[in-house]
Amino acid sequence: MSETHEASVIRERMWMKALRTAGVPLLSVVLAMAIGSIIIAASGKDPVAAFGALLTGAFGTPEKWAIGNFKAIGDTISRATPLIFAGLAVAFGFRANLFNIGANGQLLLGSIAAAGLGLALAGLPSLIAVPLILIGAALAGASWAFIPAILKAKVGAHEVITTMMFSWIGLYLTSWIIAGPLADKTVSSQTPMLPEQVWLPTLDKFLPALLRVPVRAHLGFVIAVALAFLVWWILKRTTLGYSVRAVGYNPLAAQNGGISIGITTVYALCISGALAGLAGASEVLGVQHRMFDEVSAGSGFGFTGIAVALLAKNHPIAVIFAAILFGALSAGSSMMQLVANVPDKIVTIIQALIIFFVGAETIINWLIKRRQKLALEQKGATDVE
Amino acid sequence: MWSDFFTPDLFASAIRMATPLALAAIGGTICERSGVVNIALEGIMLVGAFFGVVVTLATGNVWVGVLAAILAGILLSAIHAFASVTLRMDQVVSGTALNILALGLTGFVMEVIYGHPGATNGIAHKIGPVFNFPAPGGGVLATIWLWIDQVFLSYTPIVYIAIIVAIVAQWAMYKTRWGLRLRALGEHPRAADTVGVRVQASRYVAVLISGALGGLAGANLTLEQVGVFSDNMTSGRGFIALAANIFGRWTPMGSYLASLLFGFAEAIEIRMQSFQDVIKIPVQFFLMLPYVLVVIVLAGFMGRAVGPAAVGKPYEKE
Repeated sequence: MSETHEASVIRERMWMKALRTAGVPLLSVVLAMAIGSIIIAASGKDPVAAFGALLTGAFGTPEKWAIGNFKAIGDTISRATPLIFAGLAVAFGFRANLFNIGANGQLLLGSIAAAGLGLALAGLPSLIAVPLILIGAALAGASWAFIPAILKAKVGAHEVITTMMFSWIGLYLTSWIIAGPLADKTVSSQTPMLPEQVWLPTLDKFLPALLRVPVRAHLGFVIAVALAFLVWWILKRTTLGYSVRAVGYNPLAAQNGGISIGITTVYALCISGALAGLAGASEVLGVQHRMFDEVSAGSGFGFTGIAVALLAKNHPIAVIFAAILFGALSAGSSMMQLVANVPDKIVTIIQALIIFFVGAETIINWLIKRRQKLALEQKGATDVE
Repeated sequence: MWSDFFTPDLFASAIRMATPLALAAIGGTICERSGVVNIALEGIMLVGAFFGVVVTLATGNVWVGVLAAILAGILLSAIHAFASVTLRMDQVVSGTALNILALGLTGFVMEVIYGHPGATNGIAHKIGPVFNFPAPGGGVLATIWLWIDQVFLSYTPIVYIAIIVAIVAQWAMYKTRWGLRLRALGEHPRAADTVGVRVQASRYVAVLISGALGGLAGANLTLEQVGVFSDNMTSGRGFIALAANIFGRWTPMGSYLASLLFGFAEAIEIRMQSFQDVIKIPVQFFLMLPYVLVVIVLAGFMGRAVGPAAVGKPYEKE
C-alpha cells in the first residue's frame, strides 16, 4: 500500500520536474502567440488566417509533401540554420554568465571573412576550401569578441555595452569592405558572387529521392546540429566546459577552486564570437553566396540568437529546437504578409514576448506550482479518507 | 581649413547631439542609483521617437507629440519596472526583450498606419529654436555675437530642458531626502527598508522617471532634430547613454558632461563627412567614431568606476 503511494508521489514529482523544465518555454510560446493574435486582431486583421498562412508558409501542405515538395520545410530549416549557430553563441556566453548582446557584430565579421576567403580560395578543391573558410570565419568572429572579452577580464567593462559598440563598429567596417576592397564591379552594396565549389550544397543534392523539388536548406544545418552536440559535450565533459559552468554559476567559488575568472571569461566570449562568426559564414556559403551590406537591415540573426538561447534555457541541444521554432516563424512570416496582409514585424514582437515570458519564469513557475499544490492538497485529502 | 572646421556651429551641434544621450543617461543614472539596470533605454527612446511623430501627425500639434513620446517611454519602462521589481526578473533580459519589442512594435504600427515599412511621413513643422535674435551689422562684435548666439542661444526647447534636468537631478540627488533615499536603495536596500523606505515603490518611481526622460530623448530626436522616424533610428544611443552614465560616475551632471563628449564625437563625425573631399577617408570610418570613443573611454576609465553596490539585484522583502 505505502510503496505504491511512494511510487505515485515520485512519479508525480518527476512529472512536475519535467513540466517545470519544458513547461516554462512551452507556456511562454503559447502566451506570446496569444498576445501576438490580440495585436493582429487589434490592427483589424484576422489572426486565424494570419497564423494559418504562417503555418503553410513554414511547413507547406500534405498535398505538396505527397509529390516530394518540401520547399516550405526547407525554408524553415534554412532560416533555422544561422539561428542554431547564433543561439549556441549566446547560450555559451550565458553559461559563463556573459551576455553577448553584440553577437550580430561577430556574425557580420564571420560573413565578411567567408565572402573574402571564398573568393581568395576559389582554386582549391571544396573539401579543403570550405573547412578553411569556416575556420577563418570562426576566427574573425572570435577576434571581434576578443577586445570586449579582454576589457571585461581586465577592467570589468560590461560586455553588454562593449559588444554592442563593437556590433555597430563591425556594421560600418563590413559596410566599408563591401563598398570598397570587396565591392562587386557591377552592382553596389554587395560582394561578387562566390564560385560554386565553396557553396554549402543544398540538401536535395544529397537526398534526391526524397526531396524532388530543390530546397534552400543546406549542409550548414547538418554542421550546426553536429556543432550543437559538440558544444554540449564541451560543456559537459571537458575541463574548459567545467570552468565555464563554474564561473557562470559561482565565480567566487570557481576562483577558490583554482579557476581563473579572467581567462575563462576571455575563452568563453571568444568561443561565443566564433560560433556567431559561423552563423554568418553559413549564411554566406549556404544561402546568399555573397555578402550584402547590412547597414539598412536593422536587427539581425544575432538578436534572434538571444531569443533562441533564452528559450532553450542555454541548453545546446534545446537550441536546435528553439532555432527551428524561430526559423518557422521567420519562414512563415512572408506568407502571412502576403496572404493575411499582416506586417512580418509581428514576428519580432512575438520574439520579444517569448524572451520576456521565459525570463519571467517566476510568474509562470508560480502559476504551475500553485496548480500542483492545489492538486496535491486534493490528493492528500482523498488519501486521508 | 581649420577655421571652416571649428565653426560655432560645430560646438552647437555637439550640444544638440548630446541632448538625447544626456536625457537618457540621466534617466539611466536615476534608475541605476535605485538599484535597477535599465538597458531598455534604447527601446524607450525608440518608442518615444516613434509615437512622438505618430501623434504629431495625427493631431497636428507637436507639443501633444512630445507628451505622447514621454507617455510611451513611461509605459515601456512600466513593463520594465513590473518585470524587474515585482517579478524579480533578470533586469538585462527584461531590457533586451523590451528593446526588441520596441523594434517590432514601431515597425508593425508603422506599416499598419502608413502602409509601408522603413520610415513614417515627415512632420510639417519641427520644433523651432526658443530664441530668434536678429544678427547685428559687421565687425568684430558681430563675430563675437555670432559665437554667443550659436553656442548659447540657438537651441530648441528640449536642449535647454536637458540642461535644466541635469542641474535639478544633481541637486535632488544630493540635497533632498528623496535623493538620499534613492542612493541608499542602490547601495543597501535592506538598510533603507529597515528605516522605513518603501524599496519597491521607490524603485518603480525611479524606473518610470527614466522612462519619461528616455521618451523625451526620443522626442528630441524626431520632433526637434530629424522631423521623421525611420526604423531603428536610435542606432545604439541608449547603450552609449549607459556608457555616459558610467563615465559620469553615476551622477546626473557627470552623465551630462560625458554625453557632451560623445555628442562632440558625433558632431565631428558629421562635420568630417562634409570635408570628405579634403580628408579622403571613407565615410564608414567617421560613422564608427562615437562607438570607438565609447569603448576607449570604458577601457581607460572602468577600473576606477564603481557603480551602486546593489544594482541589478532584485530585492525581496523578508
